Amino acid sequence: MKKRLNRISRGSLSAYVYIAPGYFAFLALILGPLAYSVYLSFFNASFNLEARTFLGLGQYLGLADDLVFLKALMNTFKYVLIVVPSAIVLSLAIALIIEKFGPRLQGLFRGAFYLPTVAGGVILSIVWIWIFNPTYGLFNYFLGWFGIQPVLWLADSSTSFMSVCVVMLTYTIGQPIILFLAGLAGIPQDILDAATVDGVNGWQRIFLIKVPCIRPVMLFVLATLTIQIFQSWETVFMLTQGGPNNSSTSLVFLIYQTAFISAKVGKAAAIGVILTVIIMIVTLLQIRMWKEKI
Amino acid sequence: MNSKDPVMGRPRKTVRIPSSPFGGIFVKLLLIVLTIIFLMPLYWMVSGSFKLQSITMSVPPEFFPAKPTLANWTKLLNGSWPIWNWLRNSVLVSLLTCLFVVSISSMAGFAFGTKKFPGDKILFFALLATMFLPPQVMFIPLFLWVRTLHLTDTLAGVYFAMALPMIASPFGIFLVKQFAGGIPRSIIEAATIDGASERQIFLKIALPLLAPSLATLAIFTFNASWNNFMWQSILSSERVNFTIPVGVSYIARTPAFGKSVADIGLMMAGGTFGAFFMVLFFILFQRYFVKGITSGSVKE
Repeated sequence: MKKRLNRISRGSLSAYVYIAPGYFAFLALILGPLAYSVYLSFFNASFNLEARTFLGLGQYLGLADDLVFLKALMNTFKYVLIVVPSAIVLSLAIALIIEKFGPRLQGLFRGAFYLPTVAGGVILSIVWIWIFNPTYGLFNYFLGWFGIQPVLWLADSSTSFMSVCVVMLTYTIGQPIILFLAGLAGIPQDILDAATVDGVNGWQRIFLIKVPCIRPVMLFVLATLTIQIFQSWETVFMLTQGGPNNSSTSLVFLIYQTAFISAKVGKAAAIGVILTVIIMIVTLLQIRMWKEKI
Repeated sequence: MNSKDPVMGRPRKTVRIPSSPFGGIFVKLLLIVLTIIFLMPLYWMVSGSFKLQSITMSVPPEFFPAKPTLANWTKLLNGSWPIWNWLRNSVLVSLLTCLFVVSISSMAGFAFGTKKFPGDKILFFALLATMFLPPQVMFIPLFLWVRTLHLTDTLAGVYFAMALPMIASPFGIFLVKQFAGGIPRSIIEAATIDGASERQIFLKIALPLLAPSLATLAIFTFNASWNNFMWQSILSSERVNFTIPVGVSYIARTPAFGKSVADIGLMMAGGTFGAFFMVLFFILFQRYFVKGITSGSVKE
């Protein structure tokens, strides 16, 4: 009996040994840097940290008057509000179409829509620079068929934002399609049969039966896409460098620019802290709203 | 659909499944159009890599290269760009990241999934809660530390530094925990009674059972590390230290012909080169990608 007790406590002791490397990495590479970022955000500092001066909350107050920061903040919300719903509607529609196909064909389409995601934002942006070219780009050429005059897309501050949205959308729907397909496949057949017996029509079948059934998947897609778009950076970096006139900048691009181009480390850290808080609040709100609806 | 009544076991009245609004011919056409739109950029890139500069700038555009040329590919491969270094760097950084993530996550996931110990719930929840933190916020302190430790002075140090932010992987621990929780307790208890040590249970019983999910994690991590563009570009100071995405973006942003004109054919060849490996990787391991994507959210 004593031996057995001994084994149990040794068992839980060894559990700590097993989680130790993971927790060490977690503390050293996530929590530590996060705390240090919060600390840095109260200072006016460059990469030469010795020369830093304390600003306290002044840093954050300064950001409230910073027009570029406010523009980036606005744009980031706009990116999320435009790209996330478009991606969800598009990927759900595509999933509902290819759901009926045999496994082969379904896999083929699933793979086709995931390919841009695999290629990644950097690679896709390289092509889109060409496609968006005002004189010899494909986009203006196609629009020319409909008599639309050439547009400067990336170089015009009124179209640069939407252009970046388009490119973001092309590589964000791959993952949601896979998730929706898996969710749809998991709907119990008897629910669908019961609906059929009750004489539910096609649209009702989708919006009253299928969509509510994949609610958890919807929430997961919504939350992960939102987080992903809040952090979007590479398309902005590759296509417009935030311009022209900061019309397409985003918070993460501004963090990059402020820290690694302008070397204003403290200010960049403060923007990062604000972004973290925003993402935290938005994610929690999404989870809560979703739960209340059920 | 089953034609027998599930309760009475006799043939039921035929009930017509309502035709889905997503089933018609118009919808199928729409799907094909969408597929073309989403794959067009990739086609345009690959075909563009075989076009002369004059053709890439022609109006109307040439949809199929009438006279394909290898000029862009020779320009890319003739040694003026250290692309094989970039490939090696990307592969080694991603492998190193995988090694760390898989070993750390398998240990922690095993403990969280199969054991009860004081504080297990809180410790696990704390990990999960950080999954949505933007990694860019950690980059500033991490960059300062990498500089202070002079990690980027040696190539091995560069690799380690590039892998660094991804080593802590709450997602990995979460994923392994999900699957480790499915290992039947009876197997572990039987081994314990037979006198197996903790380490033997982990190495000889848990790891083989977890192998498919570890493969999923490895493939996922490899892909994520490959595309960890921002951190890699922050750390890359010399051309030979670039990874593939950093190098390819560098080619794309380098004006050619001594003026501000981009060499489009070369850009497309670079892009195709950069996309090739991940696309191949995806085609080979598509099953694992799908498993990795769905295992976090879709439960039976």
